[in-house]
Amino acid sequence: MSGESQVRLLYRAGVLGMAIFALGPILYMALTAASVRPDFLSPGAAFEFTAAHFVSVLRTTSLHFPDYLRNSLVVSGISAALCVGIASPAAYAITRLPLPGRMLFLLCILAVSMFPPVSMVSYLFRFMGTLGMINTYAALVLPYTAWILPLSLWILTSYFAQVPADLDRAAVVDGCTRLAALRKVVLPVAAPGIFSTALLAFIFAFNEFLFALMLTTDHAARTVPVGIALFEGLHGEIPWGVVMAASVLTTVPVVLLTLVFQRRIIQGLTRGAVKG
Amino acid sequence: MRLSLSDVSKTFRSLRGPVRAVRDVNLAIGEGELFVLLGPSGCGKSTVLNLAAGLVKPTSGEIRLGERVVASRDGKVFVPPKERNVAMVFQSYALYPHLTVFENIAFPLRVAGEKKGDIGQAVAHAGKTLGISDILQARPAELSGGQRQRVAIARAIVRKPALFLLDEPLSNLDAGLRASTRGELKRLQRELGVTTLYVTHDQTEAMTLGDRIALLRDGAVVQTGTPRDLYERPETPFAASFIGSTPMNLLKVPVLEEGGDLCLCLGQGRLPIPPGQAARVRRLGTAGILFGIRPEHVRIARGTADRPVTGTVTAVEDLGRESLLQVRVGDTTLSVLTEDKSIGEGNAVALDIPLEKAHFFKKERDR
Repeated sequence: MSGESQVRLLYRAGVLGMAIFALGPILYMALTAASVRPDFLSPGAAFEFTAAHFVSVLRTTSLHFPDYLRNSLVVSGISAALCVGIASPAAYAITRLPLPGRMLFLLCILAVSMFPPVSMVSYLFRFMGTLGMINTYAALVLPYTAWILPLSLWILTSYFAQVPADLDRAAVVDGCTRLAALRKVVLPVAAPGIFSTALLAFIFAFNEFLFALMLTTDHAARTVPVGIALFEGLHGEIPWGVVMAASVLTTVPVVLLTLVFQRRIIQGLTRGAVKG
Repeated sequence: MRLSLSDVSKTFRSLRGPVRAVRDVNLAIGEGELFVLLGPSGCGKSTVLNLAAGLVKPTSGEIRLGERVVASRDGKVFVPPKERNVAMVFQSYALYPHLTVFENIAFPLRVAGEKKGDIGQAVAHAGKTLGISDILQARPAELSGGQRQRVAIARAIVRKPALFLLDEPLSNLDAGLRASTRGELKRLQRELGVTTLYVTHDQTEAMTLGDRIALLRDGAVVQTGTPRDLYERPETPFAASFIGSTPMNLLKVPVLEEGGDLCLCLGQGRLPIPPGQAARVRRLGTAGILFGIRPEHVRIARGTADRPVTGTVTAVEDLGRESLLQVRVGDTTLSVLTEDKSIGEGNAVALDIPLEKAHFFKKERDR
């Protein structure tokens, strides 16, 4: 066997291993959700297809799954939009203005996101309680934005630093104000970075559990991760079929979003070519 | 439109303290003139360009565009680039990668809010002038370096600017393209009649393009004049060595006074300094004097019989039509240009140095 085909074989084995490692649980989740006898812990049972769990997740009003999904999408969407909306102009300023101690500033901001959420959650609970915002979207959007903003800022700063300063100077000479240069030239050129940051922020917020558990009380604001965790069967047993069906349905919008954005991100990268 | 800078300085603050990028620069650029700022990298020439564009605010001094003060002495007046109607071509071209060539060229007009029909016409005209009508729908990433260059120039000329600023526009092109684009730029500038400020570190570009040249060093103007002025009458050793495709020989040689006449000692030879030059040499003082002669002005011949200045060839660089020789004379070395290809390394040669073409400078303090 030649060296090249050995490399190719190893490469394929590696890819296969990674795919099984990453997609195996998802496949198992889907199978459990569609099985007549869903038993998470004894997987030996023969598989028999049914859509009953999906139907009951969507139809059973007491489960409130559609509410949870809507809450998750809204909260994550607003958080991601806020993060990118605040971090983009901030990153532009950081990369373009002569700020002394810019690195120190960035490190301080990063330090903020290092606090473990557990250490803040009890205080946050009292804080939101005092403001009367428990079980509202704001109770989640505000901490999510604060928590994801530093990371967004870091990612966007590196993206904006890659946009040549000559581009905004050209825009300014061509008659733009600083803000117009940002809007018409810098933001479109940095768009792939902005989209990937938004996607990342969205997924962060979408997956968050602890804050959502503490700061919401029912289906008015509760998000999917907490909602699923609190599913309960009639007699207190864990309804694996319904849990897994809900998980599958939750994965769908994230996968769709990733696919859509991925196309924009790759499109942006290939047409980019800022170099002279 | 005329552009004038009086006593303009710019100091940048940096972590290592203030950097004086531009020092007391005075320039007056006439209507329709192609004015070149020439100097080594870091001499502040790009900063002068940015000052003219309004991208940088002067620390002191006054800038006028036409009769209008665009940056005032007391710092109270500062006209932003938007209102100056200047156009700039960047070394990196700075094309907007997310827009087509058409939209790139149309950009300044769109920002100015011109009518759609007018924009289409102006872009088509600029595209035709630069010969890029066939690539208007392409994106910058799909273009070659030369095409990008043309797009950048088209974007600059499309709105008929009052002032045209070019920041090393040719330095990213390969040699052949650079020479042809250089000629084209000059022709275009003549046709448009736009006052142009052109920054380069390449003396050939400066000599071939410029109506006048300002030579800069360490943020200050060393000498201003026509290319011929700078070539024939450099005022400092720096100007002498910077202008000319092969740098001028600058030698520290003793000058002797023999019976009222001044003589230059070169190796064993004694060269009488012509009366026209003698006065200047006396004024500079014979002690710390620098003698300059261009390689192309020295004549060389094989054999050493009966010649005052003789030497040995230590290196030969074949430049094609000519050769650049390094000739050791006494304890100094001179560069000499010759078309005689028969002279090789180690040959003994005689040099004929026409002192009427020589330059004399006061020795500069070491920097």
